[in-house]
Amino acid sequence: MERNQAGGFIIMKPSTDQKTLYVVGSEMIAGSIMKDIEKKGFRLATKEELERERQNVDLVIETTCLDLEKKKANLQMIEAAVEESTLILSSVLSISATESASFLNNPSRLVGFGILGSWEEAALVEVAPALQTDEEYLDQVSNLLSEFDKEMEVVQDEAGLVFPRILSLIINEAAFALNEGIASASEIDIAMMKGTNYPMGPLAWADKVGIDNVYSVLMGLHRSLGEERYRPAPLIRKMVHAGWLGEQTGKGFYET
Amino acid sequence: MKKDISIGVIGSGTMGSGIAQITAKHQLNVLLFDVEKDVLSSNIKRIHSRFDRLVEKGKMSEDECEDAKKNILPTTKLEEMADCAFVIEAAPEKIDVKKEIFKKLDEVCGEHTILATNTSSFSVTEIGSITNRPDRVAGMHFFNPVPLMPLVEIVKGEKTSQQTIDLLVDLGELVNKLPVTCKDTPGFIVNRVARPYYNEALKISNERLASIEQIDKIMKVSGGFKMGPFELQDLIGIDINYTTTESVYGGFFGDSRFRPSYDQQRKVQAGTLGKKSGGGFYNYEA
Repeated sequence: MERNQAGGFIIMKPSTDQKTLYVVGSEMIAGSIMKDIEKKGFRLATKEELERERQNVDLVIETTCLDLEKKKANLQMIEAAVEESTLILSSVLSISATESASFLNNPSRLVGFGILGSWEEAALVEVAPALQTDEEYLDQVSNLLSEFDKEMEVVQDEAGLVFPRILSLIINEAAFALNEGIASASEIDIAMMKGTNYPMGPLAWADKVGIDNVYSVLMGLHRSLGEERYRPAPLIRKMVHAGWLGEQTGKGFYET
Repeated sequence: MKKDISIGVIGSGTMGSGIAQITAKHQLNVLLFDVEKDVLSSNIKRIHSRFDRLVEKGKMSEDECEDAKKNILPTTKLEEMADCAFVIEAAPEKIDVKKEIFKKLDEVCGEHTILATNTSSFSVTEIGSITNRPDRVAGMHFFNPVPLMPLVEIVKGEKTSQQTIDLLVDLGELVNKLPVTCKDTPGFIVNRVARPYYNEALKISNERLASIEQIDKIMKVSGGFKMGPFELQDLIGIDINYTTTESVYGGFFGDSRFRPSYDQQRKVQAGTLGKKSGGGFYNYEA
């Protein structure tokens, strides 16, 4: 799932002031953050620049989800490349901010965030401080999000936060029902839209937000909380292994 | 145009009245059954006043309104269902009550009559098994409020014939609903797939990860849901929501995905049921 043309590193640099942002990760959301920054006139740079210009780094955004070994490696690599006080905003779709922070020598500068879907379309960003997080870093996140015209909602730290957790569980249940042959994908989606006013059918929604992301949330909750309740539907697991991730790969619960 | 089809509706409560209303509005004859004559006539009066309101809003002509009213006939005798093409049962959600009704209907109805249940929590197969016509018994699950919600789930029991399903799909379309067919499994589609919207929100709140206000706001802003999970429980009735969860949980033999919340149970025990009791997760007293 290495889809990031910059080899996992996208470096964004504002053209007018001194602030420099880095995005590390190969998930769909890394691409959508990149697009948004481009729209705002920021510049994308390469990994070499990260090393050369490390003094100017103000913020790193890290989005690794499914592969927690890789997430740990990325966070430690970031720590080695940037100053000790630099804020790291890290995706907590599949791990708590507290556990992510535990990978760092300075855990107080990590703040968790979670978006299921595209960064551009998100009007609200859920943010969770780790137990170790210093308050001042939350203020930095708040300032950053207002620059992107996004509303910040601070919640407590647990894998998947609020919206990604609830939506992933709805999608999981729809996938169990589909796998049990209760109805077809489109029948399940129509039922949820017309019987209880959902804005989208859960399976079409899964295709849109990325089945790998939904699987990450479920795996994260299952691992963190240890409850059978969060067991991913076998169909979702197999689709991720088959690379059927939804719209991003052209095939998911529907063909696109 | 008047259609020469008679539909029996058992039970004149919220769901039965709603089913009778849309059926009569679409020019079908409705035979509406209830046990108590007084209850029945007051519920029919309520349906009539809903038709009058549709006329006031310009959604129905005077003539259509009069026809629709005439299309509903009251009865307190199940025997009068004999010539109905379909009977839709919307009695209280008690399995013994439903079994008794189906046993009686099976005795009195013509052999071609299709018997449908509006149950949301029982197995259609179990209800069908009490009759000598399990091939002509199916689920026809409408959503509250019936006149407004487009969906109807057509539920195929183990022995339900495809012809029965096809005819119920046609009937659903005739009353301008969107029929979706599904297998006879706990909660069918909607009540099952929707469980995490409430249950996981309750668990997140229970774990003090976010307040109910935050959860409602996040689900509306990030998810585009019209109402948050707690506002919606207050609207539906926390007791109704809790009963549905318990029923699906039982249907899956206690699978932890459906485990009810003690926070929700406490609200029910306290009689804090939502809007209808003046307070639920939010306070509605002036």
